[in-house]
Amino acid sequence: VYFIFFPGGFAFLPFLWLVNVVWFFREAFIKPAYTEQLQIKTYVKRSAVGLLLWVAVLTTWISIFQHFRAEWGAVGDYLSFTIPLGIP
Amino acid sequence: MNTSDSDDDSYNERTALVTSENPVVPSYRPDPDLTPPNDTASKRPRVTRRSGPAAADGGGSDQEVDADEEELTLKYGAKHVIMLFIPVTLCMVVVVATIKSVSFYTEKTDQQLIYTPFTENTTSVGRRLLNSVLNTIIMISVIVVMTIFLVVLYKYRCYKFIHGWLILSSLMLLFWFSFMYLGEVFKTYNLAVDYPTVGVIIWNFGAVGMICIHWKGPLQLQQAYLILISALMALVFIKYLPEWSAWVILGAISIYDLVAVLSPKGPLRMLVETAQERNEPIFPALIYSSAMMWTVGMASPIDAERSGQETDEEAEQSSRGAESESRPSRSFPEEELEEDRGVKLGLGDFIFYSVLVGKAAATGGDWNTTLACFVAILIGLCLTLLLLAIFKKALPALPISITFGLVFYFSTDFLVQPFMDNLAAHQFYI
Repeated sequence: VYFIFFPGGFAFLPFLWLVNVVWFFREAFIKPAYTEQLQIKTYVKRSAVGLLLWVAVLTTWISIFQHFRAEWGAVGDYLSFTIPLGIP
Repeated sequence: MNTSDSDDDSYNERTALVTSENPVVPSYRPDPDLTPPNDTASKRPRVTRRSGPAAADGGGSDQEVDADEEELTLKYGAKHVIMLFIPVTLCMVVVVATIKSVSFYTEKTDQQLIYTPFTENTTSVGRRLLNSVLNTIIMISVIVVMTIFLVVLYKYRCYKFIHGWLILSSLMLLFWFSFMYLGEVFKTYNLAVDYPTVGVIIWNFGAVGMICIHWKGPLQLQQAYLILISALMALVFIKYLPEWSAWVILGAISIYDLVAVLSPKGPLRMLVETAQERNEPIFPALIYSSAMMWTVGMASPIDAERSGQETDEEAEQSSRGAESESRPSRSFPEEELEEDRGVKLGLGDFIFYSVLVGKAAATGGDWNTTLACFVAILIGLCLTLLLLAIFKKALPALPISITFGLVFYFSTDFLVQPFMDNLAAHQFYI
């Protein structure tokens, strides 16, 4: 399963990578070694790396957006899904 | 939201599907005749094994075996009650929290589902009652038709069609409804969110949900998704069903449930029996399964694959008889294999319980009513599970709980509430 979740995560699905990591974490790292474990470990590690990458990207984007939204004027509104009402 | 026809069809088919499945609370799996009698030495004194020793014993210590059985049954039952309490409670909590905080779902709107064409805005009480009864009749007949359609499809093995239908409806639920829901939540809390972020969130939520429900995924994630979509569906119902119709529909659905599951010709009973005959699991998208399965201290290398498979197996409930036979041979390299065949509850049950509690929260007095309904439903669920332990066949999970819920709602709203208000007003504490 893990080897399908991993490439699936490339379709803009960091959540899938998160599920991969959490679900197989025990299998990969906590359990005593067995032959398949190396493969699981690589996939879990790669999913974790991808996940961290996505988290970084999203955090930067969200912070940029929240900070500069008002200044951008029309572009900010266009990008907005919901527009807060009232006085900030 | 403009409820377009296609939306209605799809999601009401989903509803119909879901409600059609709602009374399925199958007995503990597997059927006793499937369990091999040679499992007496197993380390798992499970209820299903009891038929083994019972059969092997013959006439001798019948009484002891019976007493053991009783004890195991009840102990088993208690655990499953707890295992079902948690998801039902979670679902209701989500619905009530949303109702109380996001006002969108309680705004009066004249938009109604096309399944409830009669409006309730009329002046006279009689007319309103008549309209709600007519609405109910239409809704119930739609559900009956859908159920029979589903059962017919299942009998004639049109699996592809059913799967396609289910996938379509869960797609809509997971994407469209959660999109709306998220939008409303953000509006309520006055947060600005941009389209790309929302797109990523919804896409992730939906895609992982589809994978988890229809394919493989961790059991808890699957359970969480099922709870969430039940809550979403319940919220849609709460919003779009007019007041009195909602209550009448709840009552009518529990009667229909009773009839459909228990009567020999009932469509749901036929569905369950056919599924059991063919030893197939009922579609994963319609049933909540509380079964857990975990292996501790696996030493053999092939267990790596099996761990992926096992969650799949217990999530899909493939032929248990075969599994339980293979388990003793596999248990040698493993230290302990704990398996618990859970109870299954249809998603429609979740939905209607939540509709009841949500309506109570939306229109009832205050927290008293909500809490009373909540407790009533849980009591009903307990009783239903008790009956399940006694009768050991598929039982309708709706009637008892909904009856209690309705009784408690109306009595609390009209009797207890003014009482408490008066007491508080006069500062009289009892």
